[in-house]
Amino acid sequence: MSTLSSPALEAARSTGTTPLRLVRAEIMKIRTTSTWWLFLIGFIVFTALALTSNGFSHHFQLYPQQDVSDRAQALAQAAQARTPAGVAAIAASMMTSGQFLGVLFVMLLGSLVVTNEFAYQTATATFLAVPRRTAVVMAKLTAAACFGALFWLVATVLDGVVTPFFLHSQHVSTPLTGWTVLRSVLLNLLAFVLWAVFGLGLGTLIRSQVGSIIAGFAVYLGGFAAMELLFHAFYYFYRAGWVLGGPVIAPSVAANVMITPGQAFPHAPPQWAGLAIMVGYALVLTAGGIVLTLRRDVP
Amino acid sequence: MVVLLAALVLGGLAWLAWRKAGHNTSALAADVPLRPLGRPSGGRSIPAGQLPGGRIVASGLTKRYRDVKAVDSLSFVVEPGRVTGFLGPNGAGKTTTLRMLLGLAEPTAGTATVGGVRYADLDEPVRRVGAVLESGAAHKGRSGRDHLRVLCLEAGLPLARADEVLRLTGLTAAGDRAFGGYSLGMRQRLAVAAALLGDPQVLILDEPGNGLDPEGIRWMRDLLRTLAARGRTILVSSHQLAEMELLADDLIIIADGRLAAMGPLASVVDSMARGGRTLVRTPEPEKLTAALGRDAVVTPGEAGELYVTGVDAAAIGDAAQQAGLAIHQLTTERPDLEAAFLELTTGKAAIR
Repeated sequence: MSTLSSPALEAARSTGTTPLRLVRAEIMKIRTTSTWWLFLIGFIVFTALALTSNGFSHHFQLYPQQDVSDRAQALAQAAQARTPAGVAAIAASMMTSGQFLGVLFVMLLGSLVVTNEFAYQTATATFLAVPRRTAVVMAKLTAAACFGALFWLVATVLDGVVTPFFLHSQHVSTPLTGWTVLRSVLLNLLAFVLWAVFGLGLGTLIRSQVGSIIAGFAVYLGGFAAMELLFHAFYYFYRAGWVLGGPVIAPSVAANVMITPGQAFPHAPPQWAGLAIMVGYALVLTAGGIVLTLRRDVP
Repeated sequence: MVVLLAALVLGGLAWLAWRKAGHNTSALAADVPLRPLGRPSGGRSIPAGQLPGGRIVASGLTKRYRDVKAVDSLSFVVEPGRVTGFLGPNGAGKTTTLRMLLGLAEPTAGTATVGGVRYADLDEPVRRVGAVLESGAAHKGRSGRDHLRVLCLEAGLPLARADEVLRLTGLTAAGDRAFGGYSLGMRQRLAVAAALLGDPQVLILDEPGNGLDPEGIRWMRDLLRTLAARGRTILVSSHQLAEMELLADDLIIIADGRLAAMGPLASVVDSMARGGRTLVRTPEPEKLTAALGRDAVVTPGEAGELYVTGVDAAAIGDAAQQAGLAIHQLTTERPDLEAAFLELTTGKAAIR
């Protein structure tokens, strides 16, 4: 049966399974379904909304309304916002517009990279092709991080187009390549990548698609409130300043601390602590996910 | 503290990876040498049994889920160049066994190897073993071609191979359509296409006939027979017994997780021949019945024929000759695969 012969196999030298090919395969998996661009469209819409709302709030920061309750204080704040440092901070805020919901999208996409395989039972085919399961998880991690970076790039381009017009319209100016702005944009990249990895780790731990999405929402939106409540209650019994910094163990608070130069909130731990905690979560979740993936049978 | 924890976990991971690597070397020491799949075998036929490492060996394979032993000390050998049918009632442990063979489920005890190597330790698994599993599935929004191309990337195969296997399985026209719109038969063909990607010397198929129309079943049978004739190892699970009788050279029958019978199809069926009966036509049925003796159980048929069990055709012939009786017909009715299968498995899986 001549139909069984394979010119393709005979022509090509076997490359074997390489880490790069595995990452390409994972990126192809994301690329060949509609999820990612639906996410991207939603993400662009939300980024545009965030830009608009940020723009308005910075406008009123620079030009307080006539009927604002404490006009004297508002004018003092406006004067401070007009200093070079103040304008740079506004520019940095505009240039990271869309982060709040953006990282949520990226986290969900990260968890889908894993949970899709179980929801659509493609895990079997994947682990048949690559029995070395750790390599698969690492490839997924890299792919998720790449998509995190891609979303960051899209947001940054969008922000980068709008921000100069906004600054011009407000009659203030600052170089967007200044360190304050650049640092915020780079920390923003870190946030996108770490949340993507966080989501991936969540997906490896909770294979159920619905389960990991709910857990993702709960951690991202609920974790902050729960930790605030817990540590403020604790502070009621034990009045030490560092207790109020405790909520940093919630990932969304840690991420906020990580991206905020200076203090993110009163008694907040230093920036590097936020970074360490986010990296720690990403590592622990992924490591736990790898161990579980190695131990559990493929369903 | 977090950094410390992370370091600990990383250390644990490194240890796990090292342990896995250790497994690898010990498995490679097994008797059958590991050679890359012979690509020159492409168009030529190879005598049965001559492909290296095509033999599947399960030894003491056991899988326990909490209290239930799904597979219990199962040992068997599947030879290259033959189609081996893997039969058992629902819940007998067929799928669990195949998943253990393929490294998807970890055996509680025992080992399963292909060419002496555990699947997970195979160098290029897709080039050595192809598998069609019941859960053979793709993302519903992904096209069949993209599904195969992803697998090509993962397995280190040229992407063009995806188009070849689409052609081979008659799916070229449907290749760019989303998997969600595929019929059951097309899904099964896509699963076969995926299994053939690496032109493997071993094919393991779990219920490949499910959802196929008669033409599809015939296509599948021809494909598997062709591959077996070229020296490939074919292990195919099914409970479509009539199809198995046409397809299989060897049989492995399991019931309740244990081996019930194993061997060439004819001998498995023949081993059940004691349950078979002999049809006898004679002008003097009463005299023959008397002549047969106590071991024979004789049931008269509607047209005057006799059905005899308990003694074989030779004994009936001898008895007739000694009694001076004419025999017009003496036919041993061989039990078919269905009879043998039911005899081997009935009642054993009743609990599940």
